[in-house]
Amino acid sequence: MAPLLEVRDLVTAYGKIEALRGVSLAVQEGSITCLLGPNGAGKTTLMFSIAGILRPRRGSIRLGARDITGRAPHVIVAAGIALVPENRLVFANMSVLENLRAGAYQRRGGAEIESDIERLMLRFPRLRERAAQNAGTLSGGEQQMLAVARALMSRPRLLLMDEPSLGLAPLVVEEIFRIIAELHRDGTTILLVEQNAHLALQVAQHFYLIEQGKVSFSGSPGALAEDEVIRRAYLGSAAR
Amino acid sequence: MDDFTLGLLTNVGLFSFLALSAYLLLLAGEMSFGQQAFFGVGAYAGGILTTLYGVPLPLAALAAMGLGALAAFLVGLPTLRLKGLYFAMATLAAAEIARLLFELLHFQREIEGELAGPDGTQGFRGIRWIFEQGIEAQEFLLLTYALLALVLAALLLVERSRLGVTLRSVGEDPELAAALGVNVNRFKLGVAASAGALAALGGVLFAHHNTFIEPRNFDIMLGVHSLAYALIGGLGTALGPLLGVALDIGVLEGSRIFGGARMIVFGGLVAVLLVLRPRGLLDEALVHCITSRALQRR
Amino acid sequence: MLLDLLQNTIDGAAAGASYALLAVGFTLIFGVLRRVNLSYGPAVMIGCYAATWLHLNFQSGLIVLALAAVAGTVLAGAYVERLCFAPHRSGSAIAAMVASFALWMQFEELATLVLPRHVYAFPLLHEGAPVEFLGLSLRPDALAVLGVAAILCALLQGLLHRTRFGLAVRATIENPHAASLAGIDPGRIFVLIFALASAIGGIAGFLIVATHGQVTPMLGMWATLKGLLAMMLGGLGSLRGAIVGALVLGQIEAHSQWFLGPQWRDLVAYLLLFALLAANPSWMTRWTISRSAS
Repeated sequence: MAPLLEVRDLVTAYGKIEALRGVSLAVQEGSITCLLGPNGAGKTTLMFSIAGILRPRRGSIRLGARDITGRAPHVIVAAGIALVPENRLVFANMSVLENLRAGAYQRRGGAEIESDIERLMLRFPRLRERAAQNAGTLSGGEQQMLAVARALMSRPRLLLMDEPSLGLAPLVVEEIFRIIAELHRDGTTILLVEQNAHLALQVAQHFYLIEQGKVSFSGSPGALAEDEVIRRAYLGSAAR
Repeated sequence: MDDFTLGLLTNVGLFSFLALSAYLLLLAGEMSFGQQAFFGVGAYAGGILTTLYGVPLPLAALAAMGLGALAAFLVGLPTLRLKGLYFAMATLAAAEIARLLFELLHFQREIEGELAGPDGTQGFRGIRWIFEQGIEAQEFLLLTYALLALVLAALLLVERSRLGVTLRSVGEDPELAAALGVNVNRFKLGVAASAGALAALGGVLFAHHNTFIEPRNFDIMLGVHSLAYALIGGLGTALGPLLGVALDIGVLEGSRIFGGARMIVFGGLVAVLLVLRPRGLLDEALVHCITSRALQRR
Repeated sequence: MLLDLLQNTIDGAAAGASYALLAVGFTLIFGVLRRVNLSYGPAVMIGCYAATWLHLNFQSGLIVLALAAVAGTVLAGAYVERLCFAPHRSGSAIAAMVASFALWMQFEELATLVLPRHVYAFPLLHEGAPVEFLGLSLRPDALAVLGVAAILCALLQGLLHRTRFGLAVRATIENPHAASLAGIDPGRIFVLIFALASAIGGIAGFLIVATHGQVTPMLGMWATLKGLLAMMLGGLGSLRGAIVGALVLGQIEAHSQWFLGPQWRDLVAYLLLFALLAANPSWMTRWTISRSAS
């Protein structure tokens, strides 16, 4: 089966420094795929390149049959990819409800949007309680849920999540991962960047290890001794 | 040299002081909309001293520079910790206050049977020290450029010294500069006072060259112009602002090709130039490239 | 005495209302672009000159003149946006500002090329004497300005809070990156906001020249300074603040002119701004974006 997302030989640079040096990967429809790797390996750069925030220098990104390489972020959202960024970037001075509506900006049909909001409120009861509150007043975990819900409001074919557990308390992290598992059960395709490799390997069907701007290893959890993957994800292969 | 050219060249020199004043603050990371105030303070103070009290111009100029530095210090004291637009607006307010105070300034005395001195919005006539001393226009031009050369030499020396490095580091990353032990606030106050003195020196010369000044000489247009000079010419070297002034006054006034549409042509050129070179013609990269080549050749 | 105070307050409110429109336009542009557009006033001046030209050549009616003022301002604004702000969107704020100053010079010369006299008469909104009411003199045209400004501000509030476009604008004001991740095209919002702010400026310019009864090239600098001053007095970057700042500015001007004399009118306003900035109150320097909306 053709993958939903296919990245080929992607090179993205900041000035003269190439942060991605020819990355290729594929995400199968309905799966959770996880990117592991030490800090500075290029995981966030890859997410930004797919979402259109950074323009790749070479290589291609395809969503289904469509080439989306180098398109603007709003075009990529319309094509069906939504990114939940690392620092969440909720609209702090807008209400929770307005944040969700902003997430559906590309969609037409008010009634359907409102019913989607209703469904998301069921999934994230905390957001319902705080619907009228400004997003800036939410706790870190609640903001993370809002960021996920906002991304889902565009009805993406592919959800990109960059470090959803960053800076959150263990209980909250657990809840976030429970939600990720739920989304997966409902058929959402997810590409996940996660520092917490233990957790990530529990939910993912496939993973890529990225080191120094390249894919150094890929496989399914269990294929490589888990300890080895985790060690390299944290420390990089230079620590061998 | 005909009078027109003489006047033009002198003006280029005079406004260069103001452009350098704005440039100094830009290097320290502050955008001032108000350097024209110190230009005005210098013009009024110098004019009053020579015309009403018969003080020789050099002494009057020194006193005016001191006053300009003091005024800039006083304005800088509560405002230099403001950032970006807030500082720009505070200096704009200060400069407009100064201009409106010039409008309220009536201080006239009878000198040789004529009333002389600032007369509010009517301006300040008869600043004639230059003519009374029999100084020719050409000599004044030379004097202006000699002073400008002096200032420029000092600035270029500073730029190569540790002081210059500190100046740019305060402008580019004040937190880092503070971490390296620079007292950023005190340093900026010093820069502001020097910039004030520099503008005041230009003002004194301007008043004596024109013999007549009025409050609206020192309005916001002059201030934004001086900022623009620094930015058009480039922030890489003290020569940049001079290039900006020379381009504006020299080329613009000097060339009559475009007739009545000079400003339209020039304004468009500036806007396009800023698209191509947002930090001016002589920006840091170009200056760095030129100086490193020159060093290699040595 | 009390009557004078009341009369000044009314006059100040009318002036403040026209400042409010200028300040709102300024704030919209600053809010989405984080850039100061020095050419805002001069673009308004160009709009007013377009209307004056129509008046002189065709004796057009007030409605046509108002439309011409808006169209002229929007056109001039579009030119400014393309040349000064679109190229510097992610670049230098100072370069964008200086470029907008360069275009200001262009606008002033263009105006004097087309209409070379220093002052031109502009038809008044309302001819004839003010209405006397309980010892106060009420100018119908000033009241009309107040009314139009109030309606426009209410409409703008509705636009920003009740529409999909408004949602996108507020999201872009808060964070253009986040907005683009939500599927909003910030570039489009920038352009539309520029057009909207210019249109509001055009209306403000028309109301101002039609109550003053004259047009000069100085209108450009005047409008930029009043707009900037009101925006800063209101704390920078909040629409509500800009409106309050403009009304305060109108009151300060009217009362200081009455009590201290005309030469103090502007002086007091600048002294207040300087004192506020020097005191650095946190409400003023905290860039709160969506107070711009709420």
